[in-house]
Amino acid sequence: MPVSNAFTELVASVPNRIWLALFVLAFGLFVAAVVGAINRRLLTRAGVPEAIEGTAFERTVREFNTSTVRILAQLSSYFIVAVAIIVALTVADVNYLDQFWSSVASFLPRLFVAVIVMIVGVVVGDKAELLVAERLRGIKLPDLGVLPPLVKYSVVYVAALVALGQVGVQTIALIVLLAAYAFAIVLFAALATKDLVASAAAGVFLLLRQPYGVGDEVKIAGERGIVQEVDLFVTHIEADGEDHVVPNHSVFRNGIVLIRE
Amino acid sequence: MASLTNHLSDLVEDADAVLLFSPTSSFYGRFEDAEEIVVVAPDNDVDADVFVELPLPFDNVKDRIRFGIEGAMDAGLVSEGDEVVCIASVFDGGSDAVIRVTVDQTVHTGIYDLFVNSRAEPSVIRDVFELAIELGQKGQKGKPVGALFVVGDAGKVMNKSRPLSYNPFEKSHVHVGDPIVNVMVKEFSRLDGAFVVSDSGKIVSAYRYLEPGAEGVDIPKGLGARHMAGGAITRDTNATAIVLSESDGLVRAFKAGELVLEIDPEEY
Repeated sequence: MPVSNAFTELVASVPNRIWLALFVLAFGLFVAAVVGAINRRLLTRAGVPEAIEGTAFERTVREFNTSTVRILAQLSSYFIVAVAIIVALTVADVNYLDQFWSSVASFLPRLFVAVIVMIVGVVVGDKAELLVAERLRGIKLPDLGVLPPLVKYSVVYVAALVALGQVGVQTIALIVLLAAYAFAIVLFAALATKDLVASAAAGVFLLLRQPYGVGDEVKIAGERGIVQEVDLFVTHIEADGEDHVVPNHSVFRNGIVLIRE
Repeated sequence: MASLTNHLSDLVEDADAVLLFSPTSSFYGRFEDAEEIVVVAPDNDVDADVFVELPLPFDNVKDRIRFGIEGAMDAGLVSEGDEVVCIASVFDGGSDAVIRVTVDQTVHTGIYDLFVNSRAEPSVIRDVFELAIELGQKGQKGKPVGALFVVGDAGKVMNKSRPLSYNPFEKSHVHVGDPIVNVMVKEFSRLDGAFVVSDSGKIVSAYRYLEPGAEGVDIPKGLGARHMAGGAITRDTNATAIVLSESDGLVRAFKAGELVLEIDPEEY
Protein backbone atom coordinates (compact mmCIF):
# COMPACT_ATOMS: atom_id res chain seq x y z
CA MET A 1 0.00 0.00 0.00
CA PRO A 2 2.26 2.85 -1.20
CA VAL A 3 -0.34 5.60 -0.82
CA SER A 4 -1.05 4.67 2.74
CA ASN A 5 2.63 4.45 3.46
CA ALA A 6 3.23 7.88 2.03
CA PHE A 7 0.40 9.23 4.17
CA THR A 8 1.77 7.75 7.40
CA GLU A 9 5.18 9.09 6.52
CA LEU A 10 3.71 12.53 5.95
CA VAL A 11 1.89 12.36 9.28
CA ALA A 12 5.01 11.16 11.02
CA SER A 13 7.15 13.85 9.41
CA VAL A 14 4.99 16.61 10.91
CA PRO A 15 6.04 17.20 14.50
CA ASN A 16 3.54 16.56 17.27
CA ARG A 17 3.37 20.09 18.47
CA ILE A 18 2.18 21.22 15.05
CA TRP A 19 -0.72 18.82 15.39
CA LEU A 20 -1.38 20.17 18.83
CA ALA A 21 -1.28 23.70 17.46
CA LEU A 22 -3.74 22.78 14.72
CA PHE A 23 -5.97 21.17 17.32
CA VAL A 24 -5.82 24.30 19.48
CA LEU A 25 -6.70 26.41 16.45
CA ALA A 26 -9.68 24.22 15.55
CA PHE A 27 -10.85 24.19 19.13
CA GLY A 28 -10.47 27.99 19.25
CA LEU A 29 -12.58 28.40 16.10
CA PHE A 30 -15.25 26.13 17.56
CA VAL A 31 -15.35 27.97 20.89
CA ALA A 32 -15.42 31.29 19.04
CA ALA A 33 -18.46 30.22 17.03
CA VAL A 34 -20.25 28.94 20.13
CA VAL A 35 -19.47 32.02 22.23
CA GLY A 36 -20.53 34.30 19.37
CA ALA A 37 -23.87 32.52 19.06
CA ILE A 38 -24.43 32.48 22.84
CA ASN A 39 -23.54 36.17 23.10
CA ARG A 40 -25.97 37.05 20.36
CA ARG A 41 -28.75 35.11 22.11
CA LEU A 42 -27.91 36.65 25.49
CA LEU A 43 -27.90 40.19 24.11
CA THR A 44 -31.16 39.60 22.28
CA ARG A 45 -32.71 38.02 25.37
CA ALA A 46 -31.57 40.99 27.47
CA GLY A 47 -33.61 43.25 25.18
CA VAL A 48 -30.65 45.06 23.68
CA PRO A 49 -32.15 45.29 20.15
CA GLU A 50 -35.31 47.00 21.47
CA ALA A 51 -33.30 49.28 23.72
CA ILE A 52 -31.09 50.58 20.92
CA GLU A 53 -33.82 50.68 18.31
CA GLY A 54 -33.58 53.84 16.23
CA THR A 55 -30.16 55.03 17.37
CA ALA A 56 -27.87 56.48 14.70
CA PHE A 57 -25.28 53.75 15.21
CA GLU A 58 -27.83 50.99 14.81
CA ARG A 59 -29.22 52.61 11.65
CA THR A 60 -25.75 52.99 10.11
CA VAL A 61 -24.94 49.38 10.92
CA ARG A 62 -28.25 48.30 9.40
CA GLU A 63 -27.16 49.81 6.10
CA PHE A 64 -24.27 47.33 6.05
CA ASN A 65 -26.78 44.52 6.55
CA THR A 66 -25.72 43.72 10.07
CA SER A 67 -26.73 44.82 13.55
CA THR A 68 -25.11 46.07 16.72
CA VAL A 69 -25.82 42.80 18.48
CA ARG A 70 -24.21 40.85 15.67
CA ILE A 71 -21.16 43.10 15.68
CA LEU A 72 -20.72 42.70 19.42
CA ALA A 73 -21.11 38.92 19.15
CA GLN A 74 -18.65 38.77 16.27
CA LEU A 75 -16.15 40.88 18.18
CA SER A 76 -16.09 38.33 20.98
CA SER A 77 -15.62 35.58 18.38
CA TYR A 78 -12.72 37.42 16.72
CA PHE A 79 -11.12 37.96 20.09
CA ILE A 80 -11.23 34.26 20.86
CA VAL A 81 -9.92 33.39 17.38
CA ALA A 82 -7.04 35.81 17.83
CA VAL A 83 -6.18 34.33 21.21
CA ALA A 84 -6.39 30.82 19.71
CA ILE A 85 -4.01 31.82 16.90
CA ILE A 86 -1.49 33.19 19.37
CA VAL A 87 -1.75 30.12 21.58
CA ALA A 88 -1.38 27.90 18.50
CA LEU A 89 1.68 29.82 17.35
CA THR A 90 3.20 29.53 20.81
CA VAL A 91 2.49 25.81 20.96
CA ALA A 92 3.91 25.36 17.46
CA ASP A 93 6.96 27.15 18.78
CA VAL A 94 7.35 29.54 15.92
CA ASN A 95 10.29 31.26 17.55
CA TYR A 96 10.85 34.06 15.08
CA LEU A 97 9.18 37.35 16.03
CA ASP A 98 8.76 35.97 19.54
CA GLN A 99 8.90 39.43 21.08
CA PHE A 100 6.28 40.75 18.68
CA TRP A 101 3.77 38.04 19.50
CA SER A 102 4.13 38.39 23.22
CA SER A 103 3.44 42.12 23.05
CA VAL A 104 0.50 41.52 20.73
CA ALA A 105 -0.88 38.93 23.15
CA SER A 106 -0.82 41.41 26.01
CA PHE A 107 -2.17 44.22 23.88
CA LEU A 108 -5.06 42.28 22.36
CA PRO A 109 -7.37 42.11 25.41
CA ARG A 110 -7.00 45.82 25.98
CA LEU A 111 -7.78 46.59 22.35
CA PHE A 112 -10.80 44.32 22.63
CA VAL A 113 -12.06 46.13 25.75
CA ALA A 114 -11.39 49.49 24.08
CA VAL A 115 -13.46 48.56 21.03
CA ILE A 116 -16.30 47.26 23.21
CA VAL A 117 -16.22 50.43 25.33
CA MET A 118 -16.29 52.57 22.22
CA ILE A 119 -19.25 50.73 20.69
CA VAL A 120 -21.20 50.75 23.97
CA GLY A 121 -20.33 54.44 24.40
CA VAL A 122 -21.58 55.36 20.93
CA VAL A 123 -24.76 53.32 21.33
CA VAL A 124 -25.48 54.69 24.81
CA GLY A 125 -24.76 58.21 23.55
CA ASP A 126 -27.18 57.74 20.66
CA LYS A 127 -29.81 56.35 23.00
CA ALA A 128 -29.34 59.21 25.48
CA GLU A 129 -29.74 61.69 22.63
CA LEU A 130 -32.97 60.00 21.55
CA LEU A 131 -34.34 59.87 25.10
CA VAL A 132 -33.58 63.53 25.77
CA ALA A 133 -35.10 64.56 22.45
CA GLU A 134 -38.24 62.53 23.18
CA ARG A 135 -38.51 63.97 26.66
CA LEU A 136 -38.22 67.50 25.31
CA ARG A 137 -40.89 66.76 22.73
CA GLY A 138 -42.99 65.20 25.50
CA ILE A 139 -42.98 68.42 27.48
CA LYS A 140 -43.54 70.37 24.26
CA LEU A 141 -40.09 71.96 24.13
CA PRO A 142 -38.64 70.60 20.90
CA ASP A 143 -36.92 73.94 20.19
CA LEU A 144 -34.13 73.08 22.61
CA GLY A 145 -32.31 71.29 19.78
CA VAL A 146 -28.82 71.89 21.19
CA LEU A 147 -29.35 69.73 24.21
CA PRO A 148 -29.69 66.20 22.72
CA PRO A 149 -26.43 66.30 20.65
CA LEU A 150 -24.66 67.80 23.66
CA VAL A 151 -25.71 64.85 25.81
CA LYS A 152 -24.69 62.43 23.05
CA TYR A 153 -21.23 63.86 22.51
CA SER A 154 -20.60 64.09 26.25
CA VAL A 155 -21.24 60.35 26.58
CA VAL A 156 -19.19 59.53 23.48
CA TYR A 157 -16.35 61.73 24.69
CA VAL A 158 -16.15 59.94 28.02
CA ALA A 159 -16.31 56.56 26.24
CA ALA A 160 -13.50 57.64 23.90
CA LEU A 161 -11.41 58.69 26.91
CA VAL A 162 -11.88 55.31 28.55
CA ALA A 163 -11.12 53.49 25.29
CA LEU A 164 -7.96 55.52 24.64
CA GLY A 165 -6.89 54.95 28.23
CA GLN A 166 -7.30 51.21 27.65
CA VAL A 167 -4.98 51.15 24.65
CA GLY A 168 -2.46 53.26 26.51
CA VAL A 169 -2.71 56.58 24.71
CA GLN A 170 -1.80 59.62 26.80
CA THR A 171 -5.17 61.20 27.66
CA ILE A 172 -4.22 63.79 30.25
CA ALA A 173 -4.86 66.69 27.90
CA LEU A 174 -8.27 65.29 27.03
CA ILE A 175 -9.09 64.74 30.71
CA VAL A 176 -8.19 68.34 31.46
CA LEU A 177 -10.51 69.36 28.63
CA LEU A 178 -13.28 67.18 30.10
CA ALA A 179 -12.78 68.73 33.53
CA ALA A 180 -12.98 72.22 32.07
CA TYR A 181 -16.14 71.26 30.19
CA ALA A 182 -17.76 69.70 33.27
CA PHE A 183 -16.82 72.72 35.32
CA ALA A 184 -18.38 75.03 32.73
CA ILE A 185 -21.60 73.01 32.79
CA VAL A 186 -21.78 73.06 36.58
CA LEU A 187 -21.03 76.78 36.63
CA PHE A 188 -23.69 77.58 34.02
CA ALA A 189 -26.24 75.35 35.77
CA ALA A 190 -25.50 77.03 39.09
CA LEU A 191 -25.75 80.50 37.55
CA ALA A 192 -28.93 79.70 35.65
CA THR A 193 -30.79 78.00 38.49
CA LYS A 194 -29.51 80.24 41.28
CA ASP A 195 -32.77 82.16 41.64
CA LEU A 196 -34.89 79.04 41.27
CA VAL A 197 -32.98 77.22 43.99
CA ALA A 198 -33.11 80.27 46.25
CA SER A 199 -36.86 80.58 45.60
CA ALA A 200 -37.44 76.93 46.38
CA ALA A 201 -35.48 77.19 49.62
CA ALA A 202 -37.50 80.24 50.65
CA GLY A 203 -40.67 78.50 49.46
CA VAL A 204 -40.07 75.56 51.77
CA PHE A 205 -39.89 77.96 54.71
CA LEU A 206 -43.00 79.84 53.59
CA LEU A 207 -44.98 76.61 53.18
CA LEU A 208 -43.85 75.16 56.50
CA ARG A 209 -44.16 78.23 58.71
CA GLN A 210 -46.86 80.08 56.79
CA PRO A 211 -46.03 83.63 57.84
CA TYR A 212 -48.88 84.55 55.53
CA GLY A 213 -51.64 82.44 54.05
CA VAL A 214 -54.23 82.64 51.31
CA GLY A 215 -56.54 85.57 51.97
CA ASP A 216 -54.09 87.66 53.99
CA GLU A 217 -53.39 91.19 52.87
CA VAL A 218 -49.65 91.69 52.55
CA LYS A 219 -47.04 93.96 51.04
CA ILE A 220 -44.19 92.05 49.44
CA ALA A 221 -41.44 93.47 47.25
CA GLY A 222 -43.39 96.71 46.88
CA GLU A 223 -46.60 94.98 45.80
CA ARG A 224 -49.59 95.23 48.08
CA GLY A 225 -52.55 92.95 47.76
CA ILE A 226 -54.34 89.79 48.83
CA VAL A 227 -52.44 86.52 48.73
CA GLN A 228 -54.11 84.17 46.26
CA GLU A 229 -51.68 81.31 46.12
CA VAL A 230 -48.37 80.25 47.66
CA ASP A 231 -46.34 77.52 46.03
CA LEU A 232 -42.74 76.37 46.13
CA PHE A 233 -41.36 78.98 43.74
CA VAL A 234 -43.74 81.92 43.63
CA THR A 235 -46.43 83.77 45.55
CA HIS A 236 -49.45 85.20 43.73
CA ILE A 237 -50.67 88.51 45.11
CA GLU A 238 -53.76 90.11 43.64
CA ALA A 239 -54.71 93.75 43.87
CA ASP A 240 -57.31 95.60 41.79
CA GLY A 241 -57.43 92.94 39.10
CA GLU A 242 -53.65 92.78 38.84
CA ASP A 243 -52.09 89.48 39.68
CA HIS A 244 -48.49 89.90 40.82
CA VAL A 245 -46.38 86.78 40.68
CA VAL A 246 -43.53 87.35 43.14
CA PRO A 247 -40.61 84.91 43.27
CA ASN A 248 -40.19 83.57 46.80
CA HIS A 249 -36.53 84.55 47.11
CA SER A 250 -37.46 88.20 46.75
CA VAL A 251 -40.16 87.70 49.38
CA PHE A 252 -37.41 86.58 51.68
CA ARG A 253 -34.88 89.19 50.71
CA ASN A 254 -37.24 92.14 51.03
CA GLY A 255 -39.24 90.90 53.98
CA ILE A 256 -42.97 90.65 54.39
CA VAL A 257 -45.38 93.30 55.58
CA LEU A 258 -48.58 91.84 56.97
CA ILE A 259 -51.34 94.38 56.86
CA ARG A 260 -53.93 94.31 59.61
CA GLU A 261 -56.47 97.08 59.19
CA MET B 1 -74.32 46.46 2.02
CA ALA B 2 -75.81 49.08 -0.30
CA SER B 3 -78.40 50.20 2.26
CA LEU B 4 -75.70 50.63 4.86
CA THR B 5 -73.69 52.88 2.56
CA ASN B 6 -76.88 54.79 1.72
CA HIS B 7 -77.60 55.29 5.38
CA LEU B 8 -74.11 56.59 5.97
CA SER B 9 -74.34 59.04 3.07
CA ASP B 10 -77.75 60.20 4.37
CA LEU B 11 -76.13 60.76 7.73
CA VAL B 12 -73.39 63.01 6.42
CA GLU B 13 -75.44 64.70 3.68
CA ASP B 14 -75.18 68.50 3.50
CA ALA B 15 -73.54 68.86 6.88
CA ASP B 16 -72.57 72.43 7.74
CA ALA B 17 -69.46 71.42 9.61
CA VAL B 18 -67.46 68.37 10.50
CA LEU B 19 -66.03 68.00 14.00
CA LEU B 20 -63.07 65.65 14.27
CA PHE B 21 -62.45 64.55 17.84
CA SER B 22 -58.77 63.87 18.56
CA PRO B 23 -57.94 62.66 15.02
CA THR B 24 -54.62 61.06 14.16
CA SER B 25 -52.57 63.12 11.73
CA SER B 26 -53.04 60.62 8.90
CA PHE B 27 -56.80 60.61 9.49
CA TYR B 28 -56.84 64.41 9.52
CA GLY B 29 -54.76 64.46 6.33
CA ARG B 30 -57.63 62.78 4.46
CA PHE B 31 -59.87 65.76 5.30
CA GLU B 32 -57.32 68.46 4.71
CA ASP B 33 -58.80 69.86 1.50
CA ALA B 34 -62.42 69.62 2.70
CA GLU B 35 -64.16 72.71 4.06
CA GLU B 36 -65.52 73.44 7.52
CA ILE B 37 -63.33 71.01 9.41
CA VAL B 38 -63.05 71.64 13.13
CA VAL B 39 -60.56 69.65 15.15
CA VAL B 40 -61.50 69.13 18.81
CA ALA B 41 -58.64 67.71 20.84
CA PRO B 42 -56.64 68.32 24.01
CA ASP B 43 -53.70 69.52 21.89
CA ASN B 44 -53.41 70.76 18.35
CA ASP B 45 -51.09 67.92 17.31
CA VAL B 46 -52.20 67.93 13.69
CA ASP B 47 -51.64 71.69 13.16
CA ALA B 48 -55.25 72.20 12.20
CA ASP B 49 -56.32 75.71 11.16
CA VAL B 50 -59.60 75.49 13.05
CA PHE B 51 -59.12 74.06 16.49
CA VAL B 52 -61.18 73.82 19.68
CA GLU B 53 -59.33 72.86 22.81
CA LEU B 54 -60.74 70.04 24.92
CA PRO B 55 -59.47 70.73 28.44
CA LEU B 56 -60.43 67.29 29.69
CA PRO B 57 -60.71 64.01 27.85
CA PHE B 58 -64.39 63.35 28.53
CA ASP B 59 -65.01 59.62 28.69
CA ASN B 60 -68.65 60.17 27.98
CA VAL B 61 -68.97 60.74 24.22
CA LYS B 62 -72.16 62.78 24.63
CA ASP B 63 -70.38 65.23 26.94
CA ARG B 64 -67.38 65.32 24.64
CA ILE B 65 -69.55 66.19 21.65
CA ARG B 66 -71.55 68.76 23.63
CA PHE B 67 -68.34 70.32 24.77
CA GLY B 68 -66.89 70.41 21.26
CA ILE B 69 -70.06 71.96 19.81
CA GLU B 70 -70.24 74.55 22.57
CA GLY B 71 -66.61 75.41 21.99
CA ALA B 72 -67.24 75.73 18.26
CA MET B 73 -70.31 77.92 18.94
CA ASP B 74 -68.24 80.05 21.27
CA ALA B 75 -65.63 80.57 18.57
CA GLY B 76 -68.35 81.37 16.03
CA LEU B 77 -67.58 78.31 13.90
CA VAL B 78 -71.10 76.91 14.03
CA SER B 79 -74.38 78.58 14.86
CA GLU B 80 -77.84 77.52 15.92
CA GLY B 81 -79.64 75.34 13.42
CA ASP B 82 -76.46 74.01 11.80
CA GLU B 83 -76.18 70.32 11.07
CA VAL B 84 -72.91 69.03 12.42
CA VAL B 85 -71.28 65.67 11.78
CA CYS B 86 -68.98 64.49 14.55
CA ILE B 87 -66.37 61.81 14.00
CA ALA B 88 -65.16 60.54 17.32
CA SER B 89 -63.64 57.58 19.04
CA VAL B 90 -66.12 55.75 21.30
CA PHE B 91 -63.95 52.79 22.18
CA ASP B 92 -60.20 52.94 22.58
CA GLY B 93 -58.42 53.40 19.32
CA GLY B 94 -59.14 55.26 16.12
CA SER B 95 -62.10 57.34 15.06
CA ASP B 96 -64.88 54.77 14.98
CA ALA B 97 -68.16 56.67 15.20
CA VAL B 98 -70.05 59.09 12.96
CA ILE B 99 -72.69 61.11 14.80
CA ARG B 100 -74.98 63.76 13.38
CA VAL B 101 -76.09 66.53 15.70
CA THR B 102 -78.30 69.53 15.16
CA VAL B 103 -76.96 72.55 16.97
CA ASP B 104 -79.57 74.20 19.17
CA GLN B 105 -79.74 75.96 22.47
CA THR B 106 -80.41 72.76 24.40
CA VAL B 107 -76.90 71.67 23.56
CA HIS B 108 -75.73 74.77 25.35
CA THR B 109 -75.43 73.48 28.90
CA GLY B 110 -72.81 75.95 30.03
CA ILE B 111 -70.33 73.17 30.58
CA TYR B 112 -67.83 74.67 28.13
CA ASP B 113 -68.02 78.07 29.75
CA LEU B 114 -67.68 76.50 33.18
CA PHE B 115 -64.45 74.76 32.35
CA VAL B 116 -62.76 77.14 29.95
CA ASN B 117 -63.72 80.55 31.27
CA SER B 118 -63.31 79.86 34.96
CA ARG B 119 -60.54 81.32 36.98
CA ALA B 120 -59.39 77.99 38.34
CA GLU B 121 -57.69 75.42 36.16
CA PRO B 122 -60.05 73.12 34.22
CA SER B 123 -58.56 70.01 35.83
CA VAL B 124 -59.26 71.45 39.30
CA ILE B 125 -62.89 72.14 38.39
CA ARG B 126 -63.15 68.60 37.05
CA ASP B 127 -61.64 67.11 40.21
CA VAL B 128 -64.03 69.03 42.45
CA PHE B 129 -66.92 68.01 40.22
CA GLU B 130 -65.97 64.37 40.42
CA LEU B 131 -65.66 64.65 44.18
CA ALA B 132 -69.12 66.23 44.49
CA ILE B 133 -70.62 63.61 42.18
CA GLU B 134 -69.02 60.77 44.12
CA LEU B 135 -70.27 62.27 47.36
CA GLY B 136 -73.75 62.60 45.83
CA GLN B 137 -73.78 58.97 44.69
CA LYS B 138 -72.66 57.40 47.92
CA GLY B 139 -73.29 60.02 50.53
CA GLN B 140 -71.35 60.05 53.75
CA LYS B 141 -71.62 56.59 55.34
CA GLY B 142 -74.78 55.91 53.36
CA LYS B 143 -76.62 59.06 54.43
CA PRO B 144 -77.17 61.85 51.92
CA VAL B 145 -74.99 64.86 52.59
CA GLY B 146 -74.73 68.34 51.22
CA ALA B 147 -71.49 70.07 50.37
CA LEU B 148 -70.37 73.43 49.10
CA PHE B 149 -67.09 73.94 47.28
CA VAL B 150 -65.90 77.40 46.28
CA VAL B 151 -63.20 77.03 43.66
CA GLY B 152 -60.81 79.77 42.58
CA ASP B 153 -60.13 83.33 43.69
CA ALA B 154 -59.43 81.93 47.15
CA GLY B 155 -57.93 85.16 48.54
CA LYS B 156 -61.10 87.13 47.96
CA VAL B 157 -63.32 84.29 49.11
CA MET B 158 -61.35 84.05 52.36
CA ASN B 159 -61.87 87.76 52.91
CA LYS B 160 -65.58 87.40 52.34
CA SER B 161 -66.00 84.58 54.80
CA ARG B 162 -65.18 83.73 58.39
CA PRO B 163 -64.17 80.50 60.09
CA LEU B 164 -66.87 78.58 61.93
CA SER B 165 -64.28 76.75 63.97
CA TYR B 166 -60.61 75.98 63.56
CA ASN B 167 -59.62 75.11 60.00
CA PRO B 168 -58.75 71.40 59.62
CA PHE B 169 -56.62 72.22 56.57
CA GLU B 170 -54.52 74.80 58.42
CA LYS B 171 -50.83 74.42 57.56
CA SER B 172 -51.51 71.55 55.24
CA HIS B 173 -50.69 71.60 51.56
CA VAL B 174 -53.05 69.15 49.98
CA HIS B 175 -54.76 69.31 46.62
CA VAL B 176 -58.10 68.01 45.41
CA GLY B 177 -57.88 65.02 43.09
CA ASP B 178 -55.51 63.14 45.36
CA PRO B 179 -57.46 60.01 46.42
CA ILE B 180 -56.43 60.24 50.08
CA VAL B 181 -57.39 63.90 50.18
CA ASN B 182 -60.75 63.08 48.64
CA VAL B 183 -61.45 60.68 51.49
CA MET B 184 -60.47 63.41 53.97
CA VAL B 185 -62.75 65.91 52.28
CA LYS B 186 -65.61 63.43 52.40
CA GLU B 187 -65.09 63.00 56.13
CA PHE B 188 -65.10 66.75 56.62
CA SER B 189 -68.25 67.13 54.54
CA ARG B 190 -70.32 66.45 57.64
CA LEU B 191 -69.09 69.73 59.01
CA ASP B 192 -71.33 72.55 57.95
CA GLY B 193 -69.77 75.31 55.97
CA ALA B 194 -67.88 75.69 52.72
CA PHE B 195 -64.67 74.24 51.34
CA VAL B 196 -62.42 76.88 49.80
CA VAL B 197 -60.20 75.64 46.98
CA SER B 198 -57.53 77.80 45.32
CA ASP B 199 -56.92 78.27 41.58
CA SER B 200 -54.31 75.54 41.53
CA GLY B 201 -56.48 73.07 43.48
CA LYS B 202 -55.05 73.49 46.97
CA ILE B 203 -57.63 73.10 49.71
CA VAL B 204 -57.26 76.34 51.60
CA SER B 205 -59.92 75.86 54.22
CA ALA B 206 -62.95 73.89 55.28
CA TYR B 207 -65.64 74.98 57.71
CA ARG B 208 -66.01 78.48 56.26
CA TYR B 209 -69.08 80.60 56.73
CA LEU B 210 -69.55 82.65 53.56
CA GLU B 211 -70.64 86.24 54.01
CA PRO B 212 -71.37 87.64 50.56
CA GLY B 213 -73.93 90.30 49.90
CA ALA B 214 -76.95 88.27 48.81
CA GLU B 215 -78.99 90.99 47.13
CA GLY B 216 -79.67 90.55 43.46
CA VAL B 217 -78.80 86.89 43.36
CA ASP B 218 -81.28 85.00 41.24
CA ILE B 219 -81.29 81.32 41.97
CA PRO B 220 -84.24 78.99 41.45
CA LYS B 221 -86.78 79.07 44.21
CA GLY B 222 -86.84 76.14 46.51
CA LEU B 223 -83.12 75.91 46.98
CA GLY B 224 -81.79 76.45 50.46
CA ALA B 225 -79.21 78.50 52.26
CA ARG B 226 -76.27 76.50 50.93
CA HIS B 227 -77.15 77.25 47.32
CA MET B 228 -77.91 80.85 48.13
CA ALA B 229 -74.51 81.26 49.76
CA GLY B 230 -72.74 79.50 46.89
CA GLY B 231 -74.52 81.55 44.26
CA ALA B 232 -73.95 84.81 46.07
CA ILE B 233 -70.22 84.31 46.64
CA THR B 234 -69.69 83.80 42.90
CA ARG B 235 -71.32 87.14 42.24
CA ASP B 236 -68.99 88.96 44.61
CA THR B 237 -65.84 87.13 43.50
CA ASN B 238 -64.50 85.38 40.41
CA ALA B 239 -64.92 81.99 42.01
CA THR B 240 -67.00 79.06 40.82
CA ALA B 241 -69.27 77.37 43.36
CA ILE B 242 -70.05 73.67 43.10
CA VAL B 243 -72.89 72.67 45.38
CA LEU B 244 -74.20 69.23 46.27
CA SER B 245 -77.75 69.48 47.50
CA GLU B 246 -78.63 67.45 50.55
CA SER B 247 -82.35 67.36 49.78
CA ASP B 248 -82.51 66.43 46.08
CA GLY B 249 -78.97 65.09 45.61
CA LEU B 250 -78.19 67.16 42.51
CA VAL B 251 -74.84 68.80 41.84
CA ARG B 252 -75.13 72.38 40.70
CA ALA B 253 -72.50 74.85 39.57
CA PHE B 254 -72.79 78.61 39.96
CA LYS B 255 -70.82 81.31 38.22
CA ALA B 256 -71.24 85.06 38.47
CA GLY B 257 -74.29 84.51 40.66
CA GLU B 258 -76.08 82.34 38.13
CA LEU B 259 -76.81 78.64 37.94
CA VAL B 260 -74.85 77.33 34.94
CA LEU B 261 -74.99 73.58 35.28
CA GLU B 262 -77.16 71.03 37.02
CA ILE B 263 -76.38 67.34 36.90
CA ASP B 264 -77.72 64.27 38.61
CA PRO B 265 -74.92 62.19 40.13
CA GLU B 266 -76.93 59.00 39.59
CA GLU B 267 -76.79 59.50 35.82
CA TYR B 268 -73.03 59.79 35.78
